[in-house]
Amino acid sequence: MSAPVLTTPAPDAVVPGRPTVGQRLTSFMPVIALVVLLAALTVADPGFLTLSSLTAAVRTSAPLVVLAAGATLVVLCGGIDLSIAALCSLATVFFALWLPDLGGLTTFAIIAATGAIGALQGVAHVLFRIPSFIVTLGGMSIFSAIALVISDAGPVRVVDRDATNWLTLYVGGVVPMAFVVALVLVAAVSLVLRLTPLESWIRATGYSESAARLAGAPVDRVKIAAFTVSGACAGLAAVMLVSRNFSGSPTMADNLLLPAVAAIVVGGTAITGGHGSLWRSLAGALVVTLLRVGLPIVGVPSAYEQILYGAIIVAAVALTLDRSKVLIIK
Amino acid sequence: MTTTSPADADREVVHAGRPRPRRGISLSDAGPPIALVVIFGVFAVLSPDFRTVSNVQNVLDAAAVLAVVTCGISFVLMMGSIDLSAPGIMGASAIAVALLVANNRNDNDFGLFGVAVAVLLGAALGCLSGLALVVLKVPSFMTTLGVSAVGLGVATLMFAGVQPNVTDPMLEGWAVERFLGLAHLTWIAVACVLVGALVQRYSRLGRYAFAIGGAEEVLGLSGVRVAPYKVAVFTMAGAFYGLAGVLVTSQLGAGLVQAGRGYDFSAITAAVVGGTLLSGGRGGILHSVVGVLLVTVLTNGLVQVGVSPYWQGGVQGLIVVAAVAAAVLPQRRRNQVTK
Repeated sequence: MSAPVLTTPAPDAVVPGRPTVGQRLTSFMPVIALVVLLAALTVADPGFLTLSSLTAAVRTSAPLVVLAAGATLVVLCGGIDLSIAALCSLATVFFALWLPDLGGLTTFAIIAATGAIGALQGVAHVLFRIPSFIVTLGGMSIFSAIALVISDAGPVRVVDRDATNWLTLYVGGVVPMAFVVALVLVAAVSLVLRLTPLESWIRATGYSESAARLAGAPVDRVKIAAFTVSGACAGLAAVMLVSRNFSGSPTMADNLLLPAVAAIVVGGTAITGGHGSLWRSLAGALVVTLLRVGLPIVGVPSAYEQILYGAIIVAAVALTLDRSKVLIIK
Repeated sequence: MTTTSPADADREVVHAGRPRPRRGISLSDAGPPIALVVIFGVFAVLSPDFRTVSNVQNVLDAAAVLAVVTCGISFVLMMGSIDLSAPGIMGASAIAVALLVANNRNDNDFGLFGVAVAVLLGAALGCLSGLALVVLKVPSFMTTLGVSAVGLGVATLMFAGVQPNVTDPMLEGWAVERFLGLAHLTWIAVACVLVGALVQRYSRLGRYAFAIGGAEEVLGLSGVRVAPYKVAVFTMAGAFYGLAGVLVTSQLGAGLVQAGRGYDFSAITAAVVGGTLLSGGRGGILHSVVGVLLVTVLTNGLVQVGVSPYWQGGVQGLIVVAAVAAAVLPQRRRNQVTK
């Protein structure tokens, strides 16, 4: 009945020494990229470095930051979540449909619902031992289908704008509320990870799952939790999108998958798991947003945006991959 | 974990990592065809429209493009890799072929030569993912996700805001003209399946693709240089996607950037449902063809029974997760790592 699953021989124990110059450089890569991009854009268009355009850029980046931050947890565990964008689209439809009944509670209901859906994917991944990208790829098409069916494949208008109005405010008149929420989210999750054993559990799971399991870390529960947070973040990102677009649509966030994955890997989180952080994804998301906003400023047609995403994903993964861990790249 | 199939009953000491040579037909080989027959029978009972000859023709014609894509992806899955690049490559080749044959955008009229160029473009993009995998050592689902984006970008560049409508009679005829009751497209797909099956069975490329999926370390230790074969497999897959893009253009009569939307997932679904293991080393083109027919019959049948076509992707998502779970569960070990 069973075909063999060959286990890769365990690599020799790598004792972490002092980081090499290359490692130091890659660890600062997102910040360097961010500064270089800002400088380049300012040279190309001196008007770019003004408060209003920076505010606008930061405001656009908020949903991307939230999506990427959530999925970073899954990547840190060594998996991948390809369903975030589709789940986010589904959540925008839910939001538009639920708002008349639930009113002010809709935001929490959405986050709870998407968190539960994320948990479901995590359970499927852990319980049935299905590779995470297959579970989430399957999830992606299931969520898209549900969104299409319940919305009749068209946008659903949100008439009551009060429920999302708070996200469009500006803190101190300058910083967009949506971005503040994204920052608070990243800070809060990072803090929780730091103050609890969660961070070491997640890292251990990512660096070596079998070792973590043998050492007694609750690997399965940690993974499910990561998927739950990833799902909940997709819900929060959906609320942000609705606050800007005043509608829910079954394809609204679909084009955010690639930028979100790009943000994670550009930030320097290793796709092999273990190494990385949410702050890195924040920087990565800002880099991606600047690229997106900046390309037209420099005069590059937006069609190159896709090509650029493809190139930076591959390049960033190549730079950050933990080669000591994977003997055979599939 | 003990397995209780009759074939394994005589060895119960350890879960050794080597399969015994199979005698007869195992359940996992016979399962998909049986499922196909059962599903076909159920829909035939449920819907009078489903059991007509013309609907069977429709099913076969509708399966053509997916069959070509699945031919390509099967080789990649056999190696244990994954390929998400079909939408990008198909989009690029769809626009390329629409611009190279007679169309409303320019004066090109290259006919079959244009088709060949589009297929070559697909092969080149596939080669790119293979090279990124082998040279940069980036996991294939990342390289192919990247290449898909690159392909969509290239397609958008060539699209340039004006949709190229095909006026070439040959390309338009492929989707319309019939031979023995089936559209020419379907016969092209049948040819692709035959070529794929021959490559898989008789060429070094096909056999090594299997071996890479089964035990790459062993192959490397035996002195086989694995890398060129990996690149070659991705290149061949790219060529199949390129051809699929051409077929979609023929069906639509126009080049669209979204020509390949969703085909990556449908093809993975078809291959997995047909019995190809995602961990590699099992399955094959003929398995995948059964999977393609299963997926297409399911899609067609559900619509005939009155289910909204929007559910199509959701159903595929469910069956792929279920099929992978069914394939993986028997081999589950206590401390197994699933990424």
